[in-house]
Amino acid sequence: MVGLDDSVHAPGRACGLYVHIPFCESKCGYCDFYSVPVEQLDTEPLLRRIVRELRVRLDDNPRKVGTIFCGGGTPTILPLEELTRLFGEVSRAGPADQIVEFTVEANPGTIDDSKAGLLVGGGVTRVSMGAQSFIAGELATLERLHSPDDIAPSVATLRRNGVRQVSLDLIFGIPGQTLDTWSRSLDRAIELEPDHIACYGLTYEPGTRLSELRQQGRITPCDEQLEADMYLGAVDGLCEAGYGQYETSNFAKPGCKCRHNLNYWRNGSYIGVGPSAAGYVDGRRYKNIADIDAYIRMMDVQGHAEAETEVVDTQMLMTEMIMMQLRLVEGLSIESFRERTGVDPLAVFKDTLNRLVDLGFVTVSDTHIALTRQGRLISDAVIVELAATCGDRVDGPH
Amino acid sequence: MVDLSLIRNFSIVAHIDHGKSTLADRILERTGVISAREMREQYLDDMDLEREMGITIKANRATVPYDFEGRTYMLNLLDTPGHVDFHYEVSRALAACEGVLVVVDATQGVQAQTVANANLAAEADREIILVINKIDLPAARPEDIALEAEQVLGLDAAEAVFTSAKTGAGVDELLQAIVQRVPPPTGDPDGRLRALIYDAKPDPHRGIISHTRVFDGTLKRGDRVDLVAVGRKYQVTEVGKFMPKPTPVDSLSAGEVGYLFAGIKTLTDVNIGDTVTHSSHPTDNPLPGYAPPQQMVFCDFYPGVGCTTAQLREAMEKLWLNDSSFTYVTVSSDALGIGFRCGFLGLLHMRIIQERLERESDIAVVQTAPTVTYEVLRKDGTLKRIESPSELPDMSEVQEIREPVVDVSMLIPAESVGPAMQLSMHRRGKHQKTEYLSPTRVMLIYKMPLCEIIYDFYDKLKTCTRGYGTADYELSGYQAGDMVRMDVLVNGVPIDALSVIVHSDKATVRGRKLISRLKKEIGRHMFEIPLQAAIGARIIARETIPPFRKDVTAKCYGGDVTRKRKLLEKQKEGKRRMKTVGNVSIPQEAFMSVLNPED
Repeated sequence: MVGLDDSVHAPGRACGLYVHIPFCESKCGYCDFYSVPVEQLDTEPLLRRIVRELRVRLDDNPRKVGTIFCGGGTPTILPLEELTRLFGEVSRAGPADQIVEFTVEANPGTIDDSKAGLLVGGGVTRVSMGAQSFIAGELATLERLHSPDDIAPSVATLRRNGVRQVSLDLIFGIPGQTLDTWSRSLDRAIELEPDHIACYGLTYEPGTRLSELRQQGRITPCDEQLEADMYLGAVDGLCEAGYGQYETSNFAKPGCKCRHNLNYWRNGSYIGVGPSAAGYVDGRRYKNIADIDAYIRMMDVQGHAEAETEVVDTQMLMTEMIMMQLRLVEGLSIESFRERTGVDPLAVFKDTLNRLVDLGFVTVSDTHIALTRQGRLISDAVIVELAATCGDRVDGPH
Repeated sequence: MVDLSLIRNFSIVAHIDHGKSTLADRILERTGVISAREMREQYLDDMDLEREMGITIKANRATVPYDFEGRTYMLNLLDTPGHVDFHYEVSRALAACEGVLVVVDATQGVQAQTVANANLAAEADREIILVINKIDLPAARPEDIALEAEQVLGLDAAEAVFTSAKTGAGVDELLQAIVQRVPPPTGDPDGRLRALIYDAKPDPHRGIISHTRVFDGTLKRGDRVDLVAVGRKYQVTEVGKFMPKPTPVDSLSAGEVGYLFAGIKTLTDVNIGDTVTHSSHPTDNPLPGYAPPQQMVFCDFYPGVGCTTAQLREAMEKLWLNDSSFTYVTVSSDALGIGFRCGFLGLLHMRIIQERLERESDIAVVQTAPTVTYEVLRKDGTLKRIESPSELPDMSEVQEIREPVVDVSMLIPAESVGPAMQLSMHRRGKHQKTEYLSPTRVMLIYKMPLCEIIYDFYDKLKTCTRGYGTADYELSGYQAGDMVRMDVLVNGVPIDALSVIVHSDKATVRGRKLISRLKKEIGRHMFEIPLQAAIGARIIARETIPPFRKDVTAKCYGGDVTRKRKLLEKQKEGKRRMKTVGNVSIPQEAFMSVLNPED
């Protein structure tokens, strides 16, 4: 194991590795990640290219990989032999004592003992499980395939096979959800004693089925005040149960924050491989093409599948640091902002900060600029205020 | 020696869209001045904005040779703007010529601006040629329209010339009519020089180009001249004619139209309407000149986000040197900081200036709602003219407030009389006259407060006449009204730029509507925002903008950064046209919402 919770992902040090497996059993109504139902496809040809990209990217990467996150889609849907092969490749990212965290996403009802054993054997330390709700009707609204009763056995299977950390995802703001059903889902999640819980407000992403239904008036979104109450209810309830909030939507038992994601929120570097995966290495962002066939073709023809790239200049970095770091409960690191942008945030944002502090949405300590509980409820509006300020004062690169 | 009998000076006036500029282009093409190949659409409208908006803003000009019955005539054409805001440009053009083409659309008939322009020409005693244009259109009714013009304008329908500027039909007949009917200029080429400066424009390299019509005497390169009104002396460095590009000639003599350069540096140094005369033998009878353009509508410009007051000032100075018909002075608003109060000839003029400011200097401008000039009679008997509600003295000192009143003439279809009268009454209009021009066309004349028509009266009239109605207005004077100042408080802070002077009968309704518009325009913030409309200390309308209860992006991971950042950058851009007052971001639209009394 390397260093402290925080320091391992500081820029210039280790980086994250994200592997995107774009297969699902079926597409959920709210999900806008790139994935396709698996029965349509032979997974092997794609996996071969993902492995190739992984090798190239790791060879080119001067940094140590500190964390791995394998998401999708549902990576665990891959056949056992392919999963074994994938984990074998991923393990080349670094020796086991260097990889402080290796997360795989999974769905309730899709994990049996053999699969769980394979995960642990492949170095996986953490499984993030898309529980979403413990109410059958709500799962149906979300078009999830599992039932509430699948969740506990799946968690038990993971524990039994030695997965060190288990995280559960929950969704609030589901049409038809009430404060009561929400708190029941929370309670049942807490009963399972996961190490980490993420609570996401339901988002109507453009292009999803849920968003379409909403436009057609066939579902009514949750009232905004109710959603706010649900959110604060979760913050309080989880805190009471020993899960400290550390990011807008993430809660963890002590020592169980997701280090891979912390690296994103601290604007650290990461490699991404697979269709639609994004990477951020040495100030350059890339995003792979979000189409399996095109990905395979591009990998074969040109050796990479980047569809978009951009170099992040100082102005962009400032905006990104505000946008990402204010999601963290600890807030924006004044020192890191100064170091990386050459700009003193306390000076640049002075008037805006004073205003936001007076309004009770922001606090400023010696080391960090952070949102208050009230500020976190309207974090988008607060972030716009601060981001708009840095647009005013700084022209061009520094 | 110039033969005066071979010169014809004429201008073209028309309602917007009746094909005036196209007709001018066709004349240029027909006389061979511009080849069809060189012909851009509407050659004479040379400003981008003019072409985009399809209107003429500045008067334009050209000298074209025309052969008729074995003689070559020089026709001097002055194209004028059609919009009501630019009446003064029409008057200027009329002063420089002997004849006027009044162009009427063969499908739409006589419009309010046609009447106004034809009246100007008749008052100036110019020869008027009625031109019925667009006869190529399927819906054209040339004979009916000619008869209507006879009825409304008192022009002989039998003498009308029928043209299609699009196909060129009738253009020869029109040119012949110009030669035969417009009287040649009179004047003494050997007399003391009297040349009228009827327009002036900055030239990028040579200072000011003064457009001039010589009435008496002869103007040559090298002449030492006086500008009578401004009392300055210059040496003429070039005289020439618009062919239509400026083309130097040896001299311009009595009856001729052209231009002169004389080392005049900026528009501030020249007085449109001034008389040019020789310094050695000055005239003792200068030309009457023009009344300066009257600014009717006022608003404030403040720098938007990313723009400083200094940058805005620079942009205004630059534009003013190009169009001196607007005015600007520095103002200071408690809410908005330092900006400029600007005066315009009308609303279209205001819009054009704002667009040119932003476009030509690449800055964001926040504009307040336009207002008119009021006269305030104080109890001590003194009179004060105010151009903004903030200048209104304490009401305890005020005897009465007088507002500008205009005569509005509307030309509408007979079946729309009811709705048009209703609209006019709603705008505090007093009926003056109803005149049936034909069984289907009616002219309505109302006295109406100017402030009731400056915003959307034209649009509303169009709507209630199914697109056929037009209106024009003329200032008739100031009239005492039961006016009050309505203030607006946003989050408890009075926003002076949102104050408005309203008729007390309408204050409550206006206040309520304004507040509900503001509620929409300002939108939700991080906190609750009370909005109030007040007259003095009395609150007449109140609403609350609820705060965001929850405004959170649920997920933001490695793959989301670029998209979310771009979204944020877009929101930042939207804030450029906002003013932050007491923590509240007020968008441009909110300042303009003061205007709309209807919605």
